[in-house]
Amino acid sequence: MAWRRFRRNKSALIGGVIVSFFVFMSVYGIFFAPLPPRSFYCLYNGCANLPPFTNWAHPLGTEPSGIDVFSEILHGALGDLYVGVVATAISVAIGLLVGAFAGYRSGSAGAILLGITQVFFVLPVLIIILLFARIGQLLVAHGLGLTLIVVILGIFGWPTIAFVARGEIMRVKELEFVEAAKSLGASNNRILFRHILLNILSPIIVLSSLLVAGNILTEVVISFLGFGDPSTSTWGLLLQEGFSYVRTSWWVSLFPGIAVVIAVLGFNLLGDGLADALNPRIRE
Amino acid sequence: MGELLRVDDLKTYFFTEAGVVKAVDGISFTVNEGEPLGLVGESGSGKTVTVLAAMGIVAKPGKIVGGKIFFKGEELQASSEKEMRKIRGKRIGYVSQDPNSSLDPLYTVGNQLVEVVKTHFEESKDQAWERGVKLLQLVGISEPEARMKAYPYELSGGMRQRVAIARALAGEPELLVADEPTTNLDVTIQAQVLDLLRTLGKELRMSLILITHDMGLIAEMTERVVVLYAGKVAEEAATPEVFRSPKHPYTAALLASVPRLDQKAALVPIGGGIPNLITPPSGCRFNPRCAYSKGICVDAIPPLEVSGERRLVACHRWKELDLRRKA
Repeated sequence: MAWRRFRRNKSALIGGVIVSFFVFMSVYGIFFAPLPPRSFYCLYNGCANLPPFTNWAHPLGTEPSGIDVFSEILHGALGDLYVGVVATAISVAIGLLVGAFAGYRSGSAGAILLGITQVFFVLPVLIIILLFARIGQLLVAHGLGLTLIVVILGIFGWPTIAFVARGEIMRVKELEFVEAAKSLGASNNRILFRHILLNILSPIIVLSSLLVAGNILTEVVISFLGFGDPSTSTWGLLLQEGFSYVRTSWWVSLFPGIAVVIAVLGFNLLGDGLADALNPRIRE
Repeated sequence: MGELLRVDDLKTYFFTEAGVVKAVDGISFTVNEGEPLGLVGESGSGKTVTVLAAMGIVAKPGKIVGGKIFFKGEELQASSEKEMRKIRGKRIGYVSQDPNSSLDPLYTVGNQLVEVVKTHFEESKDQAWERGVKLLQLVGISEPEARMKAYPYELSGGMRQRVAIARALAGEPELLVADEPTTNLDVTIQAQVLDLLRTLGKELRMSLILITHDMGLIAEMTERVVVLYAGKVAEEAATPEVFRSPKHPYTAALLASVPRLDQKAALVPIGGGIPNLITPPSGCRFNPRCAYSKGICVDAIPPLEVSGERRLVACHRWKELDLRRKA
């Protein structure tokens, strides 16, 4: 039934199509890409700095350093999907745990967790993320690369989830079916997992979808500022490289930029659509 | 008729920031086997909290601070979550006020029934499902097999309440607590649900606690009644006795505020509201609203005295007052 409502919502459907395409591209893109990731092939074969739509072996042009833009966008999709989805999964796990605890136990432990969550809201998160990214790269994680960014984004992305989860749990736990379940002999764990968590799931799913978009954007910002992983293909890295050639080779930054916009738009539309489709108050 | 549930001097306080709310302050009563008992009183008199406390599910900041609960003569440790969970659903079934929110919107009717059955009986999923179908039949739902697969929002309010009753019966309890079971239903459905509760009580020889503020329901459904006021028992008696000759002014006032077919007299509302339970009035808690209040009513808390056969009243002046209603 939620599916039927989702299908009728045009923008959600468009979002779904874009996201599916994005996922498809990141998984199977490797078979369509003319060149392997981070390949400087063209530099030695006379096809460097080609403008777009002039050579169909390199439809979106190449960088002056020889990297093929179309191939990089395809390979970058995987990197961005990895960042978006895995970082979001980490955030959701932490956020749900913290939020559930803070909402279900309204005592002082809950208050302390709520306080910590609120501290995260006022921190200048981007600057701290950049700091951690740089420290991490210098100290430990030469080989970790993109995973380091994923972990950092995940660790800094949970507060919104925790906040919403806490609020929703506080609302749901007062509902009579929780009392009813309790009065009929259900254990606390059973109530929390079976009745409460499932009932707060729809706003969390919606938020996650928006968070994926947010994480992709943040990864672009991090890479663009030069704090990313220079050995893994991502759209942010391509944008950053394009920035240095922007006067001469505009196509290097334009196409990955469009890709980012479309992907982020897709996840946002999907999130909005899910919000409508999963809202139990709009029953038909 | 043996004693089923006995609540002895139960005290449940709510520890709020504004102070300690003494929602239930020394309530005692007994439910006998197969007997329908009414708990009556205004909103905030402690009806619901009393039974929730008897099942050990008072929500924070509420806490049971005193009193004993006996089930079939055996004392229950209200503090032991494990012990109380065996009582819930298995020996006491609870039907709450609002059938619209007492069923989890995400699960089918069958799912919710099976969950309770499997909590209390070692049965396979198919057996539990079969039992669910029988329960729906028992509460008078047509096409029970089809309804098992329905979600709560696909049912009407009356049907939902029947499902809630079926779920409360799933553990085959000896006592069914119905907390204002008809408040959220419209009048024709109310009659059906009450009818169902009455026949179930007889067929399954189950005790019933009916919580309500409606004296009409008490008259129709119960054999004994406990009148609560501001967290204390005002009066306890057999239902006909209470209607014939109330001994407590509060009971009399409650009766005077209910319309009667045989009289044309205007209804008399009870002036004022339920007192603040953080700082209750001194002496008798009803004294600020009582038409018969005297000096002693403010000075001393009236004890619960025996005023007749199986009859109790907590009023300093019950002997001198004649509160019988004019016929």
